Amino acid sequence: MAIRTRKFNVAKQQASTNLELIWWVFMRLSGLLLAFLVLAHIYANNIRISNTEIDYTYVATRFSKPLIKLLDVLILYLALLHGMNGLRYVIEDYIQHDGWRNFIKYVLYVLVAALMISGTMLVFSFPFHKVGG
Amino acid sequence: MYRGKEGQWAFILHRITGVAIILYLLVHAGELTAAMFGPKYSNAILHFFHQPLFQLGLLSVIGAVLYHALNGIRIILMDFTSWGTKVQDKLWYGVLTLFALLYIPTVIKILPEIFGGGH
Repeated sequence: MAIRTRKFNVAKQQASTNLELIWWVFMRLSGLLLAFLVLAHIYANNIRISNTEIDYTYVATRFSKPLIKLLDVLILYLALLHGMNGLRYVIEDYIQHDGWRNFIKYVLYVLVAALMISGTMLVFSFPFHKVGG
Repeated sequence: MYRGKEGQWAFILHRITGVAIILYLLVHAGELTAAMFGPKYSNAILHFFHQPLFQLGLLSVIGAVLYHALNGIRIILMDFTSWGTKVQDKLWYGVLTLFALLYIPTVIKILPEIFGGGH
């Protein structure tokens, strides 16, 4: 196939197949983990109790448990990255205009980065429970 | 193989539920951040989202997650097994059956809580 363009952006896209392959694998791996993690999360916070019971005390108690800190940071990172890349596929499929597409993608990346940082700060802003306590 | 058959419906639903879930997650992760600033702000925001309209939205998102998770497992089976794509339509009916089996009891459990006046 002939070279389609001399534009740097498009050339870069064509050269990025390794990265795309890594994302493809990531979607499957994170997706399989998330299927179990998120359904367990929903069971714990919506089925085992009523979601309308959740208040600050519940959140603070939950985030002070070491295992929950670990699981919730893991679930947050995996879900944000999985969702970010999924939404990138959708944006690249439906938004034709180069400027808008790139703008929306960068807004998404900044938002996801901000939530990864603030979510980590949130989880670790609560003290660790005494072990076994 | 595509065009209006099972595979295309599975794909469209996977997209719609996926977009709904990430948009919800952005709000969900942001909403909880208020807990860093103490009970006053946190309780106000949590209480705000306990309104029936948002709770109905949450119940829909739970359904979206359930479908997306089950169909995601179908996609993994299609990609990594030799037989997955041959039976992808049957797998999708399996997804829908499992979805109904898990989601109907969930709705029966949660719906009365929304209108029964939570705590």
